[in-house]
Amino acid sequence: MTMGKVLYYTLVDLARNRSVLAFAALLFVVAEGLFLVEGEAIKAVLSLVQVVLALVPLVALVFTVVYTYGAQEFTQLLAVQPIGRSAILGGRMLALGLSFLVALLFGLGLPLTVHAPGGTSLVLLVAAVLLAWVFLALGTLIALVNRDKARGVGTALAAWAGAVLVYDALLMALLFAFSDRPVEPFVLPVAALNPIDLARIAVTIQVDLAAMMGYSGAVYKKLLGSGPGIGAALAFMLLWVAWPTVLAFRVFRSKDL
Amino acid sequence: MDSITFKGVGKRYRKLWALRDVDAGFHTGEVVMVIGPNGSGKTTFIKCLLGLVRPTSGAIHVNGERIGDDPAYRHRIGYMPQISQFPPALTIGQLLDMMRDVRGLAPERTDDGLVEDLGLSTQLQKRLGTLSGGTMQKVSAVLAFRSAPDILVMDEPTAGLDPLSARTVLGRAAAVRERGGTVLITSHLMEEVEALADRVAYLQDGTLRFLLPLREILARTGTDRLSAALPLMLADPR
Amino acid sequence: MTRRGILRRPAAWALAMGLAVPAAATTWTVSPKGPHTKLRTVLSTAAANDSIRVLAGTYAEGALVIDRPLTLLGVGAPVIDGGQQGHVLVITAPNVTVKGFVITGTLVSNIHDNAGIHVDGGDDVKLLDNELRNCFFALHLVNTKRALITGNRILGDPATPETRRANGIHMWRCADAVIRGNRAEHHRDGIYFEFVTGSRIEDNLCRGNLRYGLHFMFSHRNDYAGNEFVDNGAGVAVMFSHSIRMTGNRFMHNRGGSAYGLLLKEINDSEVRDNSFTDNTTGLMVDGCNRVRAEGNSFRSNGWALRLFSNATGCTIAGNSFIGNTFDVSTNGDLMLNTLAANYWDRHLGYDLDRDGHGDVPYRPVGFFALLVERIPYAIIFSRSLFVTLLDQAERVIPSLTPDALKDDRPLMRPPHG
Repeated sequence: MTMGKVLYYTLVDLARNRSVLAFAALLFVVAEGLFLVEGEAIKAVLSLVQVVLALVPLVALVFTVVYTYGAQEFTQLLAVQPIGRSAILGGRMLALGLSFLVALLFGLGLPLTVHAPGGTSLVLLVAAVLLAWVFLALGTLIALVNRDKARGVGTALAAWAGAVLVYDALLMALLFAFSDRPVEPFVLPVAALNPIDLARIAVTIQVDLAAMMGYSGAVYKKLLGSGPGIGAALAFMLLWVAWPTVLAFRVFRSKDL
Repeated sequence: MDSITFKGVGKRYRKLWALRDVDAGFHTGEVVMVIGPNGSGKTTFIKCLLGLVRPTSGAIHVNGERIGDDPAYRHRIGYMPQISQFPPALTIGQLLDMMRDVRGLAPERTDDGLVEDLGLSTQLQKRLGTLSGGTMQKVSAVLAFRSAPDILVMDEPTAGLDPLSARTVLGRAAAVRERGGTVLITSHLMEEVEALADRVAYLQDGTLRFLLPLREILARTGTDRLSAALPLMLADPR
Repeated sequence: MTRRGILRRPAAWALAMGLAVPAAATTWTVSPKGPHTKLRTVLSTAAANDSIRVLAGTYAEGALVIDRPLTLLGVGAPVIDGGQQGHVLVITAPNVTVKGFVITGTLVSNIHDNAGIHVDGGDDVKLLDNELRNCFFALHLVNTKRALITGNRILGDPATPETRRANGIHMWRCADAVIRGNRAEHHRDGIYFEFVTGSRIEDNLCRGNLRYGLHFMFSHRNDYAGNEFVDNGAGVAVMFSHSIRMTGNRFMHNRGGSAYGLLLKEINDSEVRDNSFTDNTTGLMVDGCNRVRAEGNSFRSNGWALRLFSNATGCTIAGNSFIGNTFDVSTNGDLMLNTLAANYWDRHLGYDLDRDGHGDVPYRPVGFFALLVERIPYAIIFSRSLFVTLLDQAERVIPSLTPDALKDDRPLMRPPHG
């Protein structure tokens, strides 16, 4: 009840803020641009995959962190009202999550539906939304744990770089080091522990990855195309949304405002 | 009768104890002036009561209920912070509507008399981001009083307010006392609040040095003003 | 075909003479209503060079043998059903024509190469406009010169498992054949040649075959033009042959772990020109080839457009366009004795200040990641990771691992064709 009110007023604030709108517009322009430049829709989708996998987590993370710090006074104002802490945080996270959802539906979903309707586009869109939520949750946690804003933003950027670059770099280095051992069965599952990699693989396996991975590619494609496979991937992404969220609630419940 | 009791309340920020083992009771129908030097723990004391800060030790009871995760007790509390920051894109009117909605306050039970009294009724369309500090304080005062609270907490309420508005606000605070409410006020400007205060709480380095009726303080020190009495009291609080 | 070309062929001479001196040829009619109802009887009583008209109906008479020069014309698509006894039609004489039949009912066998039409030594055979329905082998020719195979529809059953499938058009030790305008679908290999020379294969469609759309070995001096190879399990593989010309063919949607649009293995002195490679796992793979020229081809949306192994020498890759491929070029070693020249690369971002249509700075189409994947195949799962993209950019700017010769000195600024 009160959470609904916090949700509503945060949404109103986000709508006035225009940053989310700008993000949606940016995505829209990038997507339309790619579809315009690339002759074939599927190629534009693949280019879009790279943009989305880097940009969506970055924007979701940084925006959430900055917004959380910016909302400190408003949070205090709410916290002295007869409103529970979880209603305040829950309302705000839901509002951010909804805003990201709408921004992605408009900025990404609309161009994809118009230019490349189909399974791959749907997977990309779902992956983008889930990634936005994962990094919304991580961003909230980071901002709540670090009292200092500069430190929070720094941590957020480090987390982003870790997920989008460092993880792959380390994994590839390991792969190289152990290339004479039978590590193949472990590579994809370990890569998929990183939500960005999981999203990337889920999308590209629909397009060309499966064929290029040979026999195991066919197996993975089948797996990721099956009900239980999709369910597991979704569940894993939601787990990535859940654990920072749970931690954030625990931190916020006893946080000094 | 005590409406608020602190029992052994302490608050530690990392290594620093901002509040240490505070025992105090606040009655219905009184105004208590909370004073102390900068960094003495006044704001932490207030924040503990409001639930903004979790005490490291001890317990706070409001109307017999120990405060914790349940936010319901704050229905009875009105709070006017030292510095107010509001969502800058909202207008005053939107903020008032929003806060009433958030508190679940029915319009007919909302006391917005201060809007008129502080001259805000012509400024409801102004955006909060464009307001002066004084006007922000007025908005803050309106928010503190409008739910007709049993407990009123004001942190430096007169700082930034013009003298006329300050008097209006303090007058309202007195009315809360007359209704049987409990009013806690921190202030540097002693004279203004002194006229109102029934008791005085003095905090120093996080410790409650004394909580005594103003009358008794003046009598004990043989002075007629708190500012004159304080140095004597601190030399010998007993 | 030129006039001189026709006259040089003995089959054409025979035809010309037959027309010039009309023999006392008889035309027989076989029909369920008579006068002759059994095809087998007519085949054994007809004289050489007679014609047999076969009217609509089903002729299930077991395996039939044509052992003298005859012309069989199906009228209204009569069905010859071999009844799963072996071959359906066996041709052992030269100058036989079989046209307009539906042929079915071969026996699936692990020992015998049973076929819808089996030709052994039947020079100048003409197999025209027949439909071969669910045959084991469909057309199976051995030791036959100057076969003409056109307009046949060779349709296997998509549900048949690989162990019960054989090839659509299978030729062994044949020469100077013309295979044109046929369809071969859902067999093991669409077209299979071994020791076939001097033949022309054009405008055929091979689709949905479990293994290769086209598969040949030790088959020199053949021309492949305008064929379409789509959705075959492993694409097209051609090996151990020389003097091959492949022009204007389309290699499409051949996807799978080891599927190739076109695999060239140990192919020498050959040309691959103006073909299109679209949406294959590997577009063109060049393994152990010498002096192969790949020119004017279009590579689109393949996983690997071109895999040029370092054991290939003297090959020229010129005037091709590479668009929308995951990897444009990949190789497996440091040595590179082949030439890349004047291709269009969609990833090339160079400039053309002198406006001659070519980039002013050499372009290196092999990325670091392509090389990595060549060494550790399952590193492919990092495809399109930001880290990989950055690595590739770095490798292009400061080449450290790419073979030095693997570069295009004059990259085209615009694709040479559409």
